Amino acid sequence: MQTALSIAMDALAYGMALFIICIGLSLTMGLMRVVNLAHGAFAMIGGYIASYAARDLGLGYAFAIVLAMIGTVIIAVPLERLLYRRIYDRSELSQVLMTIGITFCVIGITNYFFGPTLKTIPLPAELARSVDLGFRSIAGHRLFVIASGLVVAGGLWFLIERTGFGIHLRAAVENAPMARTLGIRTEIIYAASFALAIGLAAFGGVVGAEFLPIEPYYALRYMVTFLVVVSVGGAGSIAGALAACLLLGAIDVTARYLVPDFGNFFFYLAVILVVCAFPRGLMGRAQ
Amino acid sequence: MTKGFLNRLLPAGALALAGALTLSASAWADTIKVGIIGPFSGPFALQGKNFQAGAEAWLAQNGKTVAGHDIELVYRDLPTANPQQARALAQELIVRDKVQYLGGVYFTPDAMAITPLLKQGNVPLVIFNAATSAIMNSSPLVVRTSFTLGQTTTPLGKAAVERGVKKFVSIVSDYGPGVDAEGAFKKAIEAAGGEVKEAIRIPLNTTEFSPIMQRIRDAGAEGVFAFLPSGPPTLGFVKAFSDTGLKKAGVKLFAPGDLTQESDLPALGEAAAGLITSFHYAVSHESEINKRFVAAAEKAIGAPDLLSFPAVGAYDGMFVISKMIAATAGKQDAEKAVEAVKGLGWESPRGPVKIDPETRHITQTIYLREVAKDAQGRWINKEIASVPEQKDPGLAK
Amino acid sequence: MASGMPVPASTGRTLGRDLLGLALIALVGLAGYWLFPDNLAFLTRVISVALLVLSLDLIVGYCGIASLGQGALYGAGAYAAGIACVHGVTDPVLLILIGAAAGAVMGLLMGAIMLRAHGLPQLVLSIAIVQLLHEAANKASSITGGSDGLSGMSPAPLFGLFEFDLWGRSAYLFGLGLLLIVFAVLRFVTRSPFGMVCRGLKEDPLRISALGIYAFPVLLKMFVISGTVAGMGGALAAIATQVVGLDSVSFEVSANALVMLVLGGIGHLYGALIGTVIFMALEHIVAAINPFHWMTLVGAVLIAIVLFAPRGLSGTLDELARLLTRDRWRAGR
Repeated sequence: MQTALSIAMDALAYGMALFIICIGLSLTMGLMRVVNLAHGAFAMIGGYIASYAARDLGLGYAFAIVLAMIGTVIIAVPLERLLYRRIYDRSELSQVLMTIGITFCVIGITNYFFGPTLKTIPLPAELARSVDLGFRSIAGHRLFVIASGLVVAGGLWFLIERTGFGIHLRAAVENAPMARTLGIRTEIIYAASFALAIGLAAFGGVVGAEFLPIEPYYALRYMVTFLVVVSVGGAGSIAGALAACLLLGAIDVTARYLVPDFGNFFFYLAVILVVCAFPRGLMGRAQ
Repeated sequence: MTKGFLNRLLPAGALALAGALTLSASAWADTIKVGIIGPFSGPFALQGKNFQAGAEAWLAQNGKTVAGHDIELVYRDLPTANPQQARALAQELIVRDKVQYLGGVYFTPDAMAITPLLKQGNVPLVIFNAATSAIMNSSPLVVRTSFTLGQTTTPLGKAAVERGVKKFVSIVSDYGPGVDAEGAFKKAIEAAGGEVKEAIRIPLNTTEFSPIMQRIRDAGAEGVFAFLPSGPPTLGFVKAFSDTGLKKAGVKLFAPGDLTQESDLPALGEAAAGLITSFHYAVSHESEINKRFVAAAEKAIGAPDLLSFPAVGAYDGMFVISKMIAATAGKQDAEKAVEAVKGLGWESPRGPVKIDPETRHITQTIYLREVAKDAQGRWINKEIASVPEQKDPGLAK
Repeated sequence: MASGMPVPASTGRTLGRDLLGLALIALVGLAGYWLFPDNLAFLTRVISVALLVLSLDLIVGYCGIASLGQGALYGAGAYAAGIACVHGVTDPVLLILIGAAAGAVMGLLMGAIMLRAHGLPQLVLSIAIVQLLHEAANKASSITGGSDGLSGMSPAPLFGLFEFDLWGRSAYLFGLGLLLIVFAVLRFVTRSPFGMVCRGLKEDPLRISALGIYAFPVLLKMFVISGTVAGMGGALAAIATQVVGLDSVSFEVSANALVMLVLGGIGHLYGALIGTVIFMALEHIVAAINPFHWMTLVGAVLIAIVLFAPRGLSGTLDELARLLTRDRWRAGR
C-alpha cells in the first residue's frame, strides 16, 4: 500500500511536468492547427535561459522562470511572423518538415554556443529540501511541479472559457473569416495564443528540468513523447491533455517500477490501445 | 630582347616547376592518413570532441611527423550507433581516402560493421572507445586502447565488501556494456563474499528514476551498483538517488567511472559527493605526463570542463598508431603493424599500460575514486586506491 | 487540386515514357558506378534507403496516409534477412525474398492497426508501432543481438560468382538491379485500376465509397505492397553491411524517410528517388566538410524547401518545365 501510494505520487509529479510542457503544444495543434514539432525546442530554450540566469548570473529561481518565459517568447515572435505564419494554411506534412527544420537549427545553434553538456537550474533551498509526507519523503520540487500543473490547468480553463480573449480565440478557431468580419483581429489573436503556448513551453522546460534534463538534444529526444501525449489527449482539449498526461505518466512510472527491463514497451502499447479505442483522442473534438 | 627574357625566365620556371614537383611528390609519398570515426555531432558530440582533443593533443606534443612520415587525420562523423553508415564511412576512408590506419569508433555495433573490412583493406583498427569484450575476437587486426566494463567493474566487488556493504541491487542500462557490467559485478561481489539481491535492467533513454529508487528501497539493499551511459540518464539517476532520501538513509552507491565523467561533474555537483567509482582514468590523475596531456588536450577542446576519458583513449591510440607507422617504415602492412605493438608497454597519462599480446586489448591500472572537491573548489574524481595490471576478464581464457 | 491526376494518354506512349524513365535511372546508376567507384558502400546505402522512401511514397503519396513509422517495415526486412543469414541461408536473392515476406507481414499488421484512425492519431499510431518494435528488438537480444547489433553474417556470392567484398561492386550492382525491377513493378501498380482507386481514396474518399468500393481492403493491400518494398530495402542493407543494428527499426529512420520524400515531392515515384539522392548526398558532403555542425545547415535547407519549393523538388521541376513549355492546360488551372 505504501509502495502504491509512493508510486502514485511519483506518477502524479511526472504527469504534471509533462502536462505543463505539452499543454502549449496542445493549444497550437488543436486551436491553431499547426503541428509544431519544434515545441520542445522552445521548452529547451527556456531551460537554457533559466540555467544561464540562475547559475551564471546568480538570480533567484522565480526571477529565472519569468526571464526564461519572456526571453523565449521574444525569440519566438519573429519566428512566428517570418516562418509559422506561412504554414498556418499548409498541409500537415509541410508543417512537420518546417518545424523539424527549425528544431535542427535550434539544436545546432545551441550546441555551438552552449556546448554539448548538461545544464542544471539550481533550485532554491525551499524546493531542494525533501518533504516528509508520512509514507515517504519527496523532493519539495515535485510538490511545486504538481501545484504548478494545477494552476496552469485552472488558469487556462478560465482564460479560454471565461474571458473575452477566450471567446475571440474560440471564434477565430471555429470560423476565421466570420470572426474577421465581426471585427476580431485574428492575426493578433493567433500571435497572442502562439506567444502563450511558447511561454508555457518555456515554463514547462524550466520546472520540468529535474525530470527531463536540459541539453541540446532535448528538442529531439522528447519530441515524440510530447507529440504522442498531445494526440492521445486530443489536440486542443485542456482536460484531455491533463487526462492523457496523468494516464500515460502513471503507466510509464508503474511499468518502470514493475517491469523496468521492458522499457517504453508498455507506454507505447498503451498508446496504441488508447488511440484504437478513442481514434480522436481521449477528449478530442470531431474534426 | 625576347630571347634574353626567355633565357632568364626558363631556368627560373624550370626550377620552380621542379621544386613544386619534388615538393608535391615528397608530400604525396610521405603523408600517412589516419581515418578517425566518431560521434562529432549529435547527442554524443561531447565524446567525439574528446576523441579529437586526445588525438590533437598527441600531435601537438609529438609533432605531425613520425619517422619521417607526415600524419594527416581524416575525421568522419557517425552521430549515433549506425552500422550501415559505419561500414560506408570505413569503406570510403579505405578505398577513396586511402587511409592506412583506422581509429576511433564509439559504439560496439559500428566496430562490428567495420572489422570485416580490415583484412581486405589491409588496414588495422585502433579502437578509442567501443567497450564490448567480443569485438576483439571479430578480427585479428583490431587493437583497443580504451577499457571494457569487465575491466573497470571487477575491482569494485572487493572494495565494496571491504567497506562493509554486501547486499546489493544492480541497476544497468539494457545494452551490451550494461549487461557486461552487471555480469562482471555479480561475479566480483560474489567472489568477495557479497551478493546481488536484485538485478534490474532499464532502457537506455530513462531519465526519470523515482520508481527505480522505490525498488531499491523495497529490496532493502545496503548498496547499489549502477551503470548508465553518461549524459541525461546519469544526471537523473544521481539526482534521484539523493532526492528520494536513499543517500541520506545510508545506502551506498558504487559505479564504474562512466557515471561520474568529469564533464558531468559540474552538473551533478553536491548530489554526487562521496560517490565511489572505479575507472581507468581520472583527469585529475597525479603525474607529470598527465599534467602535460591535460594542458594540451584542454587547449585542443577549448573549454577545460569538457575534457573526459575518451580523450585519453584517443591519445594512447595515436601513440599506438605512431609505433605501427615506425615499425612498418610507413608501408601499408596491417599484419606487421599489429604484430609490432603486441606486448608494447608505455607510460600513459593514466599510468603504466601494455597491449596484451594475446587479446590486443590494453592492460592497465584501475583506480578506485571518490567524488570530492579539489583545492580550487572544482569537483574531481579523487583517486583513493589502485589495482595494477588489470586485463579484460571478459577475454581472459 | 493542381496536380495528382495523371494525364490520360495512350498505353503505347505511357510504356515508352516508362522505359525511358527506367533507362534514365539505370544510366544515372551506372554513371554513379563509374564516377564514384570509391563510394560504392555509400551509394548502396542510398539505394537501400531509396527503396524505403519509395515504399513510404506508396502510403503517403498514393493513399494520403501520413506515417512516421515506416522504419518498422524496413527493420522487419533487415532483421528477417539478417537472422536467416546467421542461421545458414546465404543466397542473396533468397535473403531479399525473405526480407520482402517479413516486410509484407509487418505491413499487413501495421496497416490493420493504422487504418483504424485518421489524421494526427494515425500518425501517432505509426510512431507507437515503430517504437514498440524497437523495444521488442532490443529486448529479444538473444535473437536480434540487441543494442550490440546482429553480426556474423556472411552472404554467399551473388549467383555463386560475385562476392560482397570491401569495394562493394557486387552489392551496388545487385541493389541497382533490384531498384530497377521494383521501380518498374511500382510504375505498373500505381497505374493499375487498383492504384487509381488508392489515389481516388486520397483525393475524394466520399465519391469512391459512393462507387461501392470499401476502402479498408484496398488500403490494406497497399500497406502490404509497401511493406514488401521496404522489407527488400532492409534486406539489401543487411546483405551489404553484414550487420543489422537497432537503428534500422527506429523513429529516426522513419522521420528521415519522410523528410526525403517530402523534399523530393510526394505522389510521383521519381520524387522519392530524387529526394533520397539529394538529401543523402547533401548530408554526406556537408558532414564530410564539417562533421561538427552540419545539423544547422540541414535544418535551414528544410525550412527553405517548405518556403520556396512547397511541392518538393520534383514538383518544382515539373512547374518549371510547364512554364518553359507553356503547357498550362496540364496544370489544371
